[in-house]
Amino acid sequence: MAEQNDDVYPLALLMDELKHDDVANRVAAMQKLDTIALALGPERTREELIPFLKEVAQDDEDEVFAVLAEQLGHFVPLIGGSEHAEILLPVLEVLAATEEPVVRDKAVESLNEIASQLSIEQIKENFYPLVEGLADTEWFSSRVSSTGLFQSIIVRVDETTRKSLLTTYSKLIHDEGPMVKRAAATHLPKIVDLLRENPSCSNEEDWDLISSMFQSLTTDKQDSVKFLSVDVLISILQFFNSRKDVSHHQDLLNSALQLIQDPSWRVRYMAADRFEQLAVQFEGNDQQVGELIEPFLGLLKDNEGEVRKAIAKQLPGFSRLVKKEVILEKILPQVEELSNDPSEIVRSALASEITGLTPLLDREVVIENLLPIFLTMLKDEFPEVKLNIISKLKVVNDVIGIDLLAQSLLPAISDLAKDKQWRVRLAIIEYIPLLAEQLGVGFFDEELGNLVLSWLWDPVYSIREAAVTNLEQLAKIFGSKWADEEIIERILKTDDTTLSNFVYRLTSLFTLTRLIPVVDKEIVLDKILPFVNNLAQDQVPNIRFNVAKSYLVIVQTLLDKIPGEERPVPDDIESRITYVNKFIVPVVETLKNDSDSDVKYFATQSYDAIQKLVAK
Amino acid sequence: MDLDTDVQMEDAVGLDTTLEEEEEGNTSQEYSFSNRFTPKDGHAPELSTSSIGQLDEWIEHLGKCQPLSEENVKKLCQMAIDVLQFEENVQPVQVPVTICGDVHGQFHDLMELFKIGGPCPDTNYLFMGDYVDRGYYSVETVSYLVAMKVRYPSRITILRGNHESRQITQVYGFYDECLRKYGSANVWKLFTDLFDYFPITALVDNKIFCLHGGLSPMIETIDQVRELNRIQEVPHEGPMCDLLWSDPDDRGGWGISPRGAGFTFGQDISEQFNHTNGLSLIARAHQLVMEGYSWSHEEAVVTIFSAPNYCYRCGNQAAIMEVDEQHSRQFLQYDPSVRPGEPTVTRKTPDYFL
Repeated sequence: MAEQNDDVYPLALLMDELKHDDVANRVAAMQKLDTIALALGPERTREELIPFLKEVAQDDEDEVFAVLAEQLGHFVPLIGGSEHAEILLPVLEVLAATEEPVVRDKAVESLNEIASQLSIEQIKENFYPLVEGLADTEWFSSRVSSTGLFQSIIVRVDETTRKSLLTTYSKLIHDEGPMVKRAAATHLPKIVDLLRENPSCSNEEDWDLISSMFQSLTTDKQDSVKFLSVDVLISILQFFNSRKDVSHHQDLLNSALQLIQDPSWRVRYMAADRFEQLAVQFEGNDQQVGELIEPFLGLLKDNEGEVRKAIAKQLPGFSRLVKKEVILEKILPQVEELSNDPSEIVRSALASEITGLTPLLDREVVIENLLPIFLTMLKDEFPEVKLNIISKLKVVNDVIGIDLLAQSLLPAISDLAKDKQWRVRLAIIEYIPLLAEQLGVGFFDEELGNLVLSWLWDPVYSIREAAVTNLEQLAKIFGSKWADEEIIERILKTDDTTLSNFVYRLTSLFTLTRLIPVVDKEIVLDKILPFVNNLAQDQVPNIRFNVAKSYLVIVQTLLDKIPGEERPVPDDIESRITYVNKFIVPVVETLKNDSDSDVKYFATQSYDAIQKLVAK
Repeated sequence: MDLDTDVQMEDAVGLDTTLEEEEEGNTSQEYSFSNRFTPKDGHAPELSTSSIGQLDEWIEHLGKCQPLSEENVKKLCQMAIDVLQFEENVQPVQVPVTICGDVHGQFHDLMELFKIGGPCPDTNYLFMGDYVDRGYYSVETVSYLVAMKVRYPSRITILRGNHESRQITQVYGFYDECLRKYGSANVWKLFTDLFDYFPITALVDNKIFCLHGGLSPMIETIDQVRELNRIQEVPHEGPMCDLLWSDPDDRGGWGISPRGAGFTFGQDISEQFNHTNGLSLIARAHQLVMEGYSWSHEEAVVTIFSAPNYCYRCGNQAAIMEVDEQHSRQFLQYDPSVRPGEPTVTRKTPDYFL
C-alpha cells in the first residue's frame, strides 16, 4: 500500500487482481473499477484503462462482465465528461453481444444511461451506427440487445435517421429468431409512447411502418410473440387518442377483438389482464365499447382459470364504461356464476373486486342482485374469499346503508365469528365498531352483545386482544353506563371456575384496564379498583405485574393525567391525591418488593411514575 | 403426505464428521457421571437499568427481523451466559406455561406463534430447542429468543436441541447464514459457544418432563440427568446425546435410531420412566408432525412441532401446548404467517418465457 501514489500502481494492481484464479477475486476487483479510475484521473482512464477493459471484455467469466457492464454506466464523469463519452461505447458494444442475458441487460442499461448524456452530434456519429451495427449482426444476441437501444435515440435524431431506425426495427420485428422478435415486441410500446410524448417526431410514413409492425405481431404464429402485441395496441391507441384522431379506432378495435378471442389462452390472458386499459381507449364511443361487451362476457366464461382470474380483476373498471342495464342484464348473471367458480383463485380475485360494482348500480339492484352474491361468498370455504369481501364492505355500506347490510350480514357474521381461521374472526371484529355506530345501541345489544364478549375468551391471543380493543371502542360509542352494564358487570360476574384459569383473569384485567380512561370515575373506584386489588396477590406473577401496570392507569385517570391528553386539573385534586396515597401507593409498594423480578420491575416503573404524578 | 425427497427432513449425524477436534477434550468418554455439572449457586445478578434499556432496544430491533451487529451479539451472548450458567440441567418451570417445539429459523412463524399464544412476558414460554438451521432467519430467531431469555429470565425457558451444536449447524444452514450475514464465522462461534450453556431438560411443576429428543437407556431417573456435565458440545453418544436425539417408537423397548444418534424407545420405557419419576407426561419436539402435535404411547408422550410448513414446503400445521394452573392442556394449532408485502402466490402464474 506504500506505493499507492506510484503512477502505475493502480492499473498494475487491477491487472493482477483481474488475472486472479478465483472468479470471486476478479469480481471484487471489477467492483472497485471506479476507485481505480478516480486514482488514474480522466486522461489516463481514457488512454490506458478503457483499452485495457476492452481486452478484458473479451476474455473472462460472465460474473465479471456483469459487473463491468454495470460500472461503465457510471463512467462518464470519470473519463472527463460527456464530450469523451463515445469511447465507452466499444467496450459496451462487446458486452451487449454476449450470450448471457444478465450481462446483455446490464450493458444495454448502461448504454442507455450514457446515451442520455450524449450530444446530438455524438448520437449521430457514434451511437446510431452502434445500434444499426448490433441490429445487423448475424448472432442473435446482439440483435436482441439492439432492440433495447432504440428508445434512447428515436426522438433525438433527424427525420431521415428516424426513418431508417424504424425500418431497422421493423426488420427486427420480422426477425426469424423468436427471441429477437419477442425482445422487439417488448420494447415497441416504449417507442410508441415516446413518439406520443414528442408529437413533432413522427409522420404518416412512420405510422404506416408501426402499424405494419403491429399487424405482423398480431398475426404471428407463436403465441409468446403474439401476446406482446396487446401492450403495443394500447400504446398505439393512446397515441391516436392524444391526437384526438379516431379514424383508425375501428380497425384497431377489430384487432383487439381478435386478440381477446385468440385460440391461445396466453394471448387471452394478456388481453384479459389489460382489459380495462384497452377498453378505456374507446371511451366515449358507445358503439365501440358495446362491441367489447360480448368478448368481455366470453372471458368471464373462459376455459382457463388464470384468464377468469385476470378478467375478474377488471370487473369494476370495465363496468364503469357501460350502461347500468348492461351490468344488470349481462354482466351480473355471469358474475353470479363466477362466484361459484371451481377455482379458488378465481373466486378470491372476484371477491376482492366485486364490491367495486356497488357504486355503479342503483340501491335496489345492489340489494336484489349483488347482496346475495356477497352472502354466498361470505360462506366460501376458502378464507381468502371471505376476507376479501369483508375488507371491502365499506363501499357497500355507502350505497345500501348499514341497516340493510347489517340485517343481511348478521347471520353471516355469527358464522364468521366462529370461523376456524383466526384471521377471518379478526377481520370481523375489526368491522364491529363501524357496525355498532350505525346500528345504535338497542339493535346492537340484542344481536351482537353476547358475541362481542365471547371473543374475549377466544383461544387465540390476537383475537382476545382485538376483542379488548373492540370493547374499548364500543364503550366510547355507547358511553359509560352501557360499558358498566354490558361489559364490566358481566365480567365481574364471571364464575370462579372460569377465573381459575389465568388467561381469563388476565384478559379480564386487560379489558377493565382499557376501560378505565373511558368510563366514569365512580365506576373505576367502585368496580374496577376492587377487581384489580383482588388480583394484587394473585399466585401468577404475570397477573401481578399487569396489576402494577393497571394501578398507574388508574392513578393517571383519577388525576386526569392521561398521557397525550390535556385536561383541566379537577377541583378536588388534593383529596384525590390523598386517596391515591392512602389506598393505591401502599399496594404498589408491596408489589415493588415482590419475590418475582419482573413484578418488581414493573411495580417500580409504576411506583416511580405515580410518585411523579402525585408530586406535581 | 408427499414430501419432496430432495430435502432430507430427518436430521442425521455422520453426514460429515470431519469436524475439527474439540479443544477442551470433551470427548464422548466423559459421559460418566463423575464429572457432574453444578449450576452456580444463587441467581443471576439483577439487570441494571441500562442493560434493560439496551435489551428492550435489541428486542424491538430484532422484532423487525433485523439482525444485531456482531458487537452486540457478543454482548448479548455474554449476558446470556451470565443467566444460563445458573440454570440447572433439569430447569424447574412453573405453571402456567406455553410449551413450544422446533422453530428452525422461521422467524415470521415465530412471530405468528406469539400472536397465537400471546406476547412474552405476559405469557410464559418454554421452548424445547432447534431454533436454528433450515429456515432463512436462524440468526434473527436465535438472537430474539436469547434476548428475551436475558430480559425476562423467569418468563421464558430455552432448552437445547440437537441443532444447537457446532457440528449440525455446519451442515444444515446456520453456519452459512452467519457467514452470509456477517461476513465471518464469529457470530456462529459466539452462539455455538453459548449453546453449551443451554439447559437440556425442564420439569414443569414436577409433572411434565420436557426435552428436545427423548429418553436414554442410561437414564432411569431425573436425578441422573442432574448429574450430567452439560457444558460441552453435544456428544456423539451417551445420555446427553440421547436426550437430544431419541424418538418414541411403536415398537417396545430400546431400538437403534435410523438417525445414527440416540435411540428409539417404546411405550413400556415411557410408562416406566413416568412411573419412576412421578410424571404425568413427557413433552418433546424433534420430529415433524403434520398436525403440529401428536400423542404417542397412550398419551405418555407428546410431540410438539412449532414450525408450520416446515422448510417452506412440508405443508404441516404447527402447534403449541398451553398448560394452565390446573394442569389442563390446550393445543393451539396454526398455519404459516402471512408475510406483508409478499404476494400470496396460490398457484404458479403463467410463465410466458418457456
